[in-house]
Amino acid sequence: MAKKRRQKQTDGVFLRPEGDLKRPRSPQVMIICLLFALLLTMGLINLYSASIGAGYFKGQIKSLALTLSAFILFGWVIPIRQINAYAYWFFGFICILLVIVDLTGRTAGGAQRWISLGPASFQPSEFAKLAVVMTVARFFSSNRQDSPYTIRDLLPLAAIISVAFFLIVTQPDLGTAGVCCLIAFCQLAFVRIDLKSIGIVVSAVPIIVAMAWNFYLMPYQRLRVLNFVSPELDPRNSGYHALQSLIAVGSGGVFGKGFTMGTQTHLHFLPERHTDFIFSVFAEEHGFWGCALIFIIFGLMTYVALDIARHARDTFSAMLAVGVAALIFLEFSINVAMVMGWFPVVGIPLPLFSFGGSAMLTVCVSLGLLISVNRANSGASKRI
Amino acid sequence: MTRIHKQESMLVESRFMWASIVVLVVVCGLMLRLWYIQIYRGDYYREVSERNRVRRIEIPAPRGIIFDRNGEVVLGNRPFYDLVYLRQYVVDKDTTFKIISRLLHVPVTRFEARLEMAQSQPTFLPIPLKRDLSQHEVSIIEANKIFLPGIEVRVAPRRDYGPDVPPHLLGYLKEIDPDALETLNVDNSNNPYLLGDLVGKQGIELRWEKYLRGQRGYSLIQVDSFGRQSQGAEETGITLPSVPAKPGADLELTIDYELQKTAKAAFAGKNGSVVVLNPQTGEVLAAVSEPGFDPKMMQQGVSPEDWRELIENPFKPLLDKSSGGEFAPGSVYKAVVAMAGLEEKVIDENRTFFCPGYYTLGDRRFYCYDRKGHGTVNLQKAIMKSCDVYFYQVGIELGVDRLARYAKAFGLGAKLGIALNMEKPGLIPTSAWKMLTYRLPWAGGDTPNISIGQGYDLVTPMQMANLYATIANGGKVWRPYYVNKVTNHVGETIYEHHPELIRQVAEVSPKTFELVRAALQTVVMDPGGTGKKAQVEGVTVAGKSGSVQVVSLAKNNNKGAMGVSMNWKEHAMFAAFSPTENAEIAVAVVSQNDLVGGGGKSAAPVAGAIIKRFWELKRERSAVAQALKLEEKHGKEEKTKAN
Repeated sequence: MAKKRRQKQTDGVFLRPEGDLKRPRSPQVMIICLLFALLLTMGLINLYSASIGAGYFKGQIKSLALTLSAFILFGWVIPIRQINAYAYWFFGFICILLVIVDLTGRTAGGAQRWISLGPASFQPSEFAKLAVVMTVARFFSSNRQDSPYTIRDLLPLAAIISVAFFLIVTQPDLGTAGVCCLIAFCQLAFVRIDLKSIGIVVSAVPIIVAMAWNFYLMPYQRLRVLNFVSPELDPRNSGYHALQSLIAVGSGGVFGKGFTMGTQTHLHFLPERHTDFIFSVFAEEHGFWGCALIFIIFGLMTYVALDIARHARDTFSAMLAVGVAALIFLEFSINVAMVMGWFPVVGIPLPLFSFGGSAMLTVCVSLGLLISVNRANSGASKRI
Repeated sequence: MTRIHKQESMLVESRFMWASIVVLVVVCGLMLRLWYIQIYRGDYYREVSERNRVRRIEIPAPRGIIFDRNGEVVLGNRPFYDLVYLRQYVVDKDTTFKIISRLLHVPVTRFEARLEMAQSQPTFLPIPLKRDLSQHEVSIIEANKIFLPGIEVRVAPRRDYGPDVPPHLLGYLKEIDPDALETLNVDNSNNPYLLGDLVGKQGIELRWEKYLRGQRGYSLIQVDSFGRQSQGAEETGITLPSVPAKPGADLELTIDYELQKTAKAAFAGKNGSVVVLNPQTGEVLAAVSEPGFDPKMMQQGVSPEDWRELIENPFKPLLDKSSGGEFAPGSVYKAVVAMAGLEEKVIDENRTFFCPGYYTLGDRRFYCYDRKGHGTVNLQKAIMKSCDVYFYQVGIELGVDRLARYAKAFGLGAKLGIALNMEKPGLIPTSAWKMLTYRLPWAGGDTPNISIGQGYDLVTPMQMANLYATIANGGKVWRPYYVNKVTNHVGETIYEHHPELIRQVAEVSPKTFELVRAALQTVVMDPGGTGKKAQVEGVTVAGKSGSVQVVSLAKNNNKGAMGVSMNWKEHAMFAAFSPTENAEIAVAVVSQNDLVGGGGKSAAPVAGAIIKRFWELKRERSAVAQALKLEEKHGKEEKTKAN
């Protein structure tokens, strides 16, 4: 008996006392589904308002069937074990797609981000976020060790992630590439790392940033960052966008102007109002209380995701759930901060609100994975 | 057990708490920022947004210009002045309408109707009250601007249609259908269409819409509360961005506009179509379809009455008959029967048949169009005189399916793939086709009719011209095309068309082609030929006339638009090429329900006039080119002398 227990400890993971493994079926699946449905509905209603006179709403509705079935597929059909097995393959596949985009992709808004497949086109850089989540989880589940990780231990992971990073940066899409890195860092925050290694990395960051600034950033990207730091430097396009978005959010007031009544939106002052700036449409029309509701829902969702990670039965599931939490919360907070003028203008969508099938699919698959992990925790599916 | 946990470097329990705290702090921070913007400074921003100090004005892009092969403008643009109504700035609608009505002499009800029509569109879009103002009207409105808040004159480049523009070929522009807007914009999210935009609806304007439309720009202006541009732009401290419009790409057609005009003039008063091709490449040199319609009317917004008239006209003015009209080819088709007969060794150039003026098959009698009969005829005489009896017998000996094989080898009975929306395939019947369509076996009595290009046979004028082009060039079936080259607004060539061979007619030997060409030449050049009215001095012309009895229309008891009964008239056809060897031009003329009569009488002169003009133009242009060259040479010599 004792032998068997010990076996379990080294082979599975970790931390929870044995008794906790047999928790009753948790209500978290229901909570996630409820929050998901709430956000999805609000997002679609808002997109309808933002896309009056254009076809975005219909386009989003069309892709809904696909995204919802992906949610169910990853939540209830595919076991986590399979995700673990194919994580590296998926990452490699996404990298190939990214290479294809760099070589041939469709250009939109000054950058190549799309691959066209007949009538449909998709954005591999969105899926790359998910690939990073899976890859980091897989790395730590197959490289377990007792001592804290040092730089040398983490080098292979850094190499893998930087491949994706550079492929996305060359599109050029600094925002998405940055989010990929941040997601990986968030996941790293949950493993024990050698203090000395952290020190080295932290001191190296300023040097890398300086080099990137000089050699790697496109002029327009530098402009955006500069513009954020001091708006009077380039008050032309970027400044104008930020200002109009602020006016939209601010003029929403306490209760908003009402559904489809946003003047900033419908008088076409707002740029990118169906994608990256969709939150300003919502803020203008629904006001402070509407926005507060969204903030609470996203906060709650992240908390539930972290809780699911905490109760996960193995490293892979736990890291996966942490990654999903990071993905959703980072996208949410960066996007909202950008719209409210706290962050430079980067191409990060607001999950479940922004127009775009690829982004939608990524979020739905992530939430599906979360549910899958949760079901495994509560014993609803077989032992992983 | 706890010791083991401490050594695990995987997930650290305490960090979940820290993560939750971070999430809470970030959410609270964002909430604080939201409170600051929306509540603390909410009144300020609300005021800013209500003042609408900045207004976005869309700058429509001029469509690409369409040139002919020699660089002559076929279709360009000119500025149009429209009177528009901006709902959010108009103070008193009734007074405003009364003033404009008095100034422009237009009843108020017209404006009310316009406003009603635009009821469903978003409030911010300007509503056009009256399109295409004259210079005088523009100055009147501008002078009274102070009394008319929310009323503006907008300038937009639009199509400037001349009298000779071929409407079917170029197509027309129409205001975008609000229902189609959304689906269109899914593929055009970078450069979306807006309500009120004009889009290509037919012909080249439709086919090349993506290239022609250009990309709209916009400018932002500071406005006062009446929507008028205000002066204090510096006040806010931001320079307002503006993006100029990108004009659409220019097309260079294969059309020779001079020849097109000649064709149109020569065909005046007839209904049907004329197609002129270059037999060595498939370039379309001219394409006429009559009756036409006024593309300008479409652009301005066609009234329901006018639209109904266009739809109900029995001659179908909207149809591009050059590639979308299907006609029985009549005797023009006999060239195909002759080639099939020769290749299948049914006939040779010397075999004769006797024509008493009719041919008896079973208990049915098929008449020759000339009931007096042609006597003993060989191939050359049969083509020259268009003897039906000869071809009845060749057709019967060949059989329907062998004949169809040759017809299809020349691209008949299938679309040529010219990429215009109205193209039709025509029809070459086979016994299998009849079984499938009518569930009846092929009857022996069907064959004589199809052997002289009547009965089930249908071809488009484009196919007819292409058939004769193929005979002229010795078996190359080219794909006809209209656009040589597309050049974008900075002058880069973004598309170039090269002649495309659909197939090489290997079934027919060069000797047969030569024989048929010689016979076709006698049709025009021999004093006894049926097509002698197509003669052109100084150059050989080969061709074939055709007349088709229009029986089916008799049942409809239609009165034609011209007040002449359509019942008993014939379709007059003529297809020709010139010169007989190494032809440079191929022409097909199809005159529907012709007033004058048969192909030789009515269609041949049209073909003759076009061919004549073609050679004249060629001579003139080479003379001019030579003169220019001489001048240049002269200039150079003088320069060297001066040196």
